[in-house]
Amino acid sequence: MTVAFYILAAIAVLGAVMAIALRNVVHAVFSVLLFFSALAGLFILLLAEFIAAVQILVYIGSVGILMLFAIMLTTKVTGDPTHNLLSRGWAWGALVAGALLLAFLVPLITQTQSETISKLSNFNPSVKDLGMILMDPYFASMGVIALLLTAGLIAAVVAASSASEE
Amino acid sequence: MNNFIDYKLIELGQWAVGLFNDYPVVQILVHLLLATLPLALAFMAAFGFSTWLERKGLARIQNRPGPNRVGIFGLLQPLADGIKMLLKEDIVPDRSDKLFHLLAPVMLMVPAFIAIGFLPLGDGLMSLPLDSAILFFFAVGSLNTIAVFMAGWSSRNKYSLLGGMRAVAQMISYEIPLVLSAVTVIMIAGSLSAQEIVASQQIESWLASGNLVKEFFGQILGWHIFKPWGFAGFIFFFVAALAEANRSPFDLPEADSEIIAGHLTEYSGFKYAIFFMAEYISAFAISGIAVTLFLGGWSGPVIAGLPWFIIKIFSLFAVMIWIRGTLPRLRVDQLMGYAWKFLLPLAILNIFVAGFYYFSEQQFGGLTTFIGGWIIGFAILQTAAKGLSRLNKSPTINGKRVYQLVE
Amino acid sequence: MSLIAKGILQGMAITAKNFIQSYYKKERLPTVQYPEEKSTVNQFTRNIPFLVYDGEDAIDGMRCTACKLCEKACPPQCIYIIKDTDENGKPIKRPEVFDIDSSVCMSCQLCVEVCPFESIRMDSEFELSNENRFEGLLINRDELLKSNEYYHEIHPIEAQDTDDRIAAKIAEAEAKKKAREEKARLAAEAKKADAVMKNAKVAAVTEALAAKAPAAEQIQESEAKTGVIKPEAAALGTTEKSATKAPPPEPVSKDDQASTPQTKESKAPGEDSEPKIF
Repeated sequence: MTVAFYILAAIAVLGAVMAIALRNVVHAVFSVLLFFSALAGLFILLLAEFIAAVQILVYIGSVGILMLFAIMLTTKVTGDPTHNLLSRGWAWGALVAGALLLAFLVPLITQTQSETISKLSNFNPSVKDLGMILMDPYFASMGVIALLLTAGLIAAVVAASSASEE
Repeated sequence: MNNFIDYKLIELGQWAVGLFNDYPVVQILVHLLLATLPLALAFMAAFGFSTWLERKGLARIQNRPGPNRVGIFGLLQPLADGIKMLLKEDIVPDRSDKLFHLLAPVMLMVPAFIAIGFLPLGDGLMSLPLDSAILFFFAVGSLNTIAVFMAGWSSRNKYSLLGGMRAVAQMISYEIPLVLSAVTVIMIAGSLSAQEIVASQQIESWLASGNLVKEFFGQILGWHIFKPWGFAGFIFFFVAALAEANRSPFDLPEADSEIIAGHLTEYSGFKYAIFFMAEYISAFAISGIAVTLFLGGWSGPVIAGLPWFIIKIFSLFAVMIWIRGTLPRLRVDQLMGYAWKFLLPLAILNIFVAGFYYFSEQQFGGLTTFIGGWIIGFAILQTAAKGLSRLNKSPTINGKRVYQLVE
Repeated sequence: MSLIAKGILQGMAITAKNFIQSYYKKERLPTVQYPEEKSTVNQFTRNIPFLVYDGEDAIDGMRCTACKLCEKACPPQCIYIIKDTDENGKPIKRPEVFDIDSSVCMSCQLCVEVCPFESIRMDSEFELSNENRFEGLLINRDELLKSNEYYHEIHPIEAQDTDDRIAAKIAEAEAKKKAREEKARLAAEAKKADAVMKNAKVAAVTEALAAKAPAAEQIQESEAKTGVIKPEAAALGTTEKSATKAPPPEPVSKDDQASTPQTKESKAPGEDSEPKIF
């Protein structure tokens, strides 16, 4: 189990680093998609298969395509060769990023209790349980999300149709 | 009922795995191989057979005999095609993105082969028996769009790019009616697992009774296609599946006379063969899911199990070939309009009809619901369809068509 | 479109009908397995020209006289003709070399239209492919010569029309020849009648002279000579004119007699009379 976790985590970190280091923007977007798929694998390791499937379906299948469409409409794909990972000011950037990372990681590692591991032994969530939870205690949040998505859809349709009328 | 072939296959697999009882690591490996390798090989053989079937079928529809020189009835023609594809020179354009040019066919093939693992081939014969198998099928199917885009972009060719964009737009537009029509089935069956969906299409009470006639019909009449929402859902699912697999009449991205093969323009030889194979295998996978969701999976009257499933998949594929021989190609704006303005509202309406049918079944019992539900449900869907088509008609003046884009 | 899509289902029924009927009905599967079976070609198709010959022997029976009209009429100039000569170097009416470059020929049929001897016609042969691009597609005279029976086989209506035309021309030439012969015969008879009349008149004149001479020779000699000579001269003049008229028709008939044997010689000896159609 831990071997799988380390492999997937390494792929995720590699994808994220390549996403900011590569000059070609399309290559960078594809490495972001690699990161998303590694994340889906990590979700499966956490026994959340529904979330993993939705991650692939939504992030890779829709958000990734959206990013690629946006890249398509730009003209400069190769990027500026003078801007790479080690251009000027890299030391300050590394310092700030490292400080933020430590600020998140240190409390997480020190305050995690080992009891959670034993709780997982008889924890087998199914999609049905997820559905029941969404309907009963969390119905309000689901309604709000649904309304937001509908509003977004209608706004997109209106924006597209008004743009074509001009 | 007569699923003895399935039981025999399961026994065979268990015996083969049991040979390695002393070596647990090898046993896991053998288990994995047995779960995946026969399936992959069988579907590749089916791909070869289906190319022959398509060429002969289309030829007879078009009043000509089709390939009949290589082997009896041309049965060795796929072999000849394979050898030809292997021996062709592999031309990669100089200014293309070489890594992605190589990765695109691979990325198209991988989701196709994963997707066939989710098909319930028989009673207990499933390669990936997940609890949310149908959802994973759709998730993996969305990776097809990435691969098509990769193919179109990496060729550095304006026709490839345009074809790739159109293909991606078509595939993401038709994913929505596809998933929504599957949602009705999932709603009624109550689970995302393929085995449970197949089980929900068998009328348990009739099967348990000793009456032979009831057992015969209990295997068939429970299929979702015989309910109004299932019938409409099957039509929507099948049309959207044709569009997802880029088959006629939705094959605008890769038609020869349209845009010089679209995103496949710069591919030659073996890579083209892999694209071809991936497309056909994903067509098989989608028809397999259509059979599972609406046509009862492996349940059937006389020869239940794996052979019946294979017969159903091939008959759906034959219907796809039949439609390809009949209909002309849709234009890209007609295609997109059809998905967003016709199929999507109808698929949403179908969910309401399914809910109405479910609750009336609980309220009024089986037979009344069958008759009343068919009349009312079908009436709702038919009026909605007619209304939408009238709404979407191009404008006319005095009964003559007005062309908006032609001056 | 409604939910059932009636139009699409009707279309699918038609294609299904096509599929099933192609197995047992001939008109639903009209293709043939080409190299083994060949479908028949319409009799009005044309590909490249060929030369017609009548009878058994190709060289002797060919209708072509190397008049070179087709060579001049051909738009892409694909015909090449060299006239034949006999042993003495005198040209005879036959081509020695008649080459058609079939890669250039565009099947326009202009050579057929201008040929006055109905000798070049269009063939329906299309299997002319060859491995040699230049020599293989250049067809020479012996390959181009095909019999009239072959022509009747491939283009029966055209061949029948051509034969009818040739027969009509022969009939016309025969009729002309008969008319000329009639005219010659009439001219010969007229000449004979004139000769008889001329003899009769001379005899009458001499008798008149003999009757009138002993009566008044001296007195009438001077006057009668002048008076008699005039009518005599008139009589003689007419007879002389008629005598001079007689010879001209003869050379014409002689020419006719002379030319027809010549044309007959140029034809095959085993051939019947088919006078040249000038």
